[in-house]
Amino acid sequence: MAILEVQNVSKSFAALKAVDDVTFSIEAGDVLGLLGPNGAGKTTTIRMIMNIIVPDKGSVTLLQNSGENITNLIGYLPEERGIYRKMKLVDVLLFLARLKEMSPSKAKEQIDYWLERLDLMSWKRKKIEELSKGMQQKLQFIATILHKPKLLILDEPFLGLDPINTNTIKEIILELKNQGTTIIFSTHQMESAEKLCNKIILINKGKVILSGKMGEVKESFGKRNIHLEYEGKDDFLSKSRMIKKFDNFGNYVEIQLAEDIAPQEFLQEIISQIQIKKFEIKEPSLNDIFIDSVNSQAEEVDHE
Amino acid sequence: MNRKIWAVVSREYTTRARTKGYIIGTLMFPVILVFLFGGIFIFGKVFQPSTQYFEVVDQSGRIYSQMVEMLPDTLKNGKLKFSFKELKPAPEKFEAVLEKLRSKVRNKEIDGFIIIPENILETRQAKYSARNISNFEDMEKIEWAISKSCSNIRLENLGYSPEIIRREMYAGYISLISFQVTEKGEVSKSGVSNFLLTYLLTYLLMLFIMIYGQTVTGSVIEEKSQRITETIISSIKPTELMIGKLIGVCFLGITQLVVIGSFVYLVSTYGAPFLLRMGVETPKLLEIIGNLQFTPVIFIFFILYFFMGYLLYASLFAAVGAMVNTTDEGQQFLTPIIFLNIIGFFIMITVAKNPDTTAAFWASLFPFFTPSVMFARIAVSHPSLPSGAIISIFTMIISIYLIIKLVAKIYRVGILMYGKKPSLKEALKWLKYN
Repeated sequence: MAILEVQNVSKSFAALKAVDDVTFSIEAGDVLGLLGPNGAGKTTTIRMIMNIIVPDKGSVTLLQNSGENITNLIGYLPEERGIYRKMKLVDVLLFLARLKEMSPSKAKEQIDYWLERLDLMSWKRKKIEELSKGMQQKLQFIATILHKPKLLILDEPFLGLDPINTNTIKEIILELKNQGTTIIFSTHQMESAEKLCNKIILINKGKVILSGKMGEVKESFGKRNIHLEYEGKDDFLSKSRMIKKFDNFGNYVEIQLAEDIAPQEFLQEIISQIQIKKFEIKEPSLNDIFIDSVNSQAEEVDHE
Repeated sequence: MNRKIWAVVSREYTTRARTKGYIIGTLMFPVILVFLFGGIFIFGKVFQPSTQYFEVVDQSGRIYSQMVEMLPDTLKNGKLKFSFKELKPAPEKFEAVLEKLRSKVRNKEIDGFIIIPENILETRQAKYSARNISNFEDMEKIEWAISKSCSNIRLENLGYSPEIIRREMYAGYISLISFQVTEKGEVSKSGVSNFLLTYLLTYLLMLFIMIYGQTVTGSVIEEKSQRITETIISSIKPTELMIGKLIGVCFLGITQLVVIGSFVYLVSTYGAPFLLRMGVETPKLLEIIGNLQFTPVIFIFFILYFFMGYLLYASLFAAVGAMVNTTDEGQQFLTPIIFLNIIGFFIMITVAKNPDTTAAFWASLFPFFTPSVMFARIAVSHPSLPSGAIISIFTMIISIYLIIKLVAKIYRVGILMYGKKPSLKEALKWLKYN
């Protein structure tokens, strides 16, 4: 059963079309990466899911027939996140837990567990304003997952975190994923998305330009990327009709084959022209797919 | 009410109630009262009137005993107000005694002396010598006693027996009982105390509505400027958040008002008797306090009108908070609201004197004036209720309901709107959003 269905959702701010006819859905247990460059419409999409912004067109169906107050089933980490500066850390967490209708005893137990785990125990009774930025980020994250949400929506969860803390948070997200939590997170950090997601949606300028299961997306891009180490003249690169584009480093070149060309055919073509030292069929990284897709959309727009 | 709203209520209340400012503010009023009370106590102790000692030379030989009999006045602490001692010097020693009396006054052994001449019935003059001759009240008393004694002697001389004179004299005493003529008829109470109390309480009421209204604005702006709103909104509906905030801050005000009200009640009920028991004469101020009619009924209306008035004004204050990004930006919108409140206060001052006019009736039913004007009418008309008092409760409830409904829409849009402050026109457009 779909946990979330977003259907033909659009939203404009004055002349700007922030989100344009976006459709996707996720099932229980999915980890969806909402990817896209800055200003692509990620946060606006998430805000519409959270019913903070009302879409101009289209509909959002969230956790239907769950019976409970659905806000209690969701953990939401907004991009714009602040916290009461004058309150003590433990009081803030207790307050946010009460807002999720957690029982006080359960909340206290969970707070202690997570503060211990994220190295914040000694700050428990300190005021928020005494905490560093990174600590506040961790605190925000704890507040989001304290009530064991079914659906976790994280808008740029790694923003402002150092590599060590990024790793810790990543581990916890992975752990929650393994426990069956459905997760949506937006980021432009492709490496994190690559490790965590099983589904991705790539948005640019408000439009979905790519979506699907991680494996399938990669496959559709894969098999056509070849890393080649060679000796000999490099004019075969410009002559070959099988190459869509290449990036030549002298004795090493990264090649993207034209569509419908199998690596096998290409190998046959070049084997007589150069001395091949290494021929590798490479799966594209999400980063490659990201840059590629965004650029090709930009080209399309230019051609229009 | 649901648990989420209560979570907001308790956060708003506890985080603020724990601050030093709030605790000091709450205790300040009682402390001021205690100081005032202590001051009066010490003042009363130090400047307490004491028995005045007089020595009397009654050359006529007939006045002294009657005069003393007519001045049995005692102080509030039970001691005699005047203490007299008769001297009977031989005529040739009179001058020497006089000289001795003067030096006794100078040395403060006695407060003064009185010489009653032998032929007082003809001269109709007696001599009063004292350090302090500006104490008119006491002098008039002594003058009255001597005069009365002279009249009695004259009547005796005409043949009336002393018994008859005494009986008739007492039978002729009257005292004045004062009544205040008001539109409600004649009332035997201290008007000064009542107006004082009405102004004081109404002033407190309006002050608190403004203070806590602005606390709400501050609270909304804090969540907005610190970017806290979005986190909270994922757990609770904006309207619920607003209601929780309004109620939480309201409890802060009620706590303070209950503390202050209880103190006023204690002082007005037990203040004067307490000082008396401690052996202090009640000065005028305490008499006024003693006459304050701060009954439980007024107390209940006091809290009720704070609650309703606060909700009405604070909803507007919440809307202002939602529309702006900083307190400075808010001032522009707050000023007209504060003005509305002040107008109500001025109307109240007039209405308190004439609570039963048609104008007073209608003014007190205008929701934004009800807390001040209607409360003042109730306080001065006490113990009877003025016309419209009960209706006002219903008009307030309806107004609060409508205002909150309207404001909730502005609030919902405003709290997530960052950037440029909207004009009033734009904010009114938010009302149309769903």
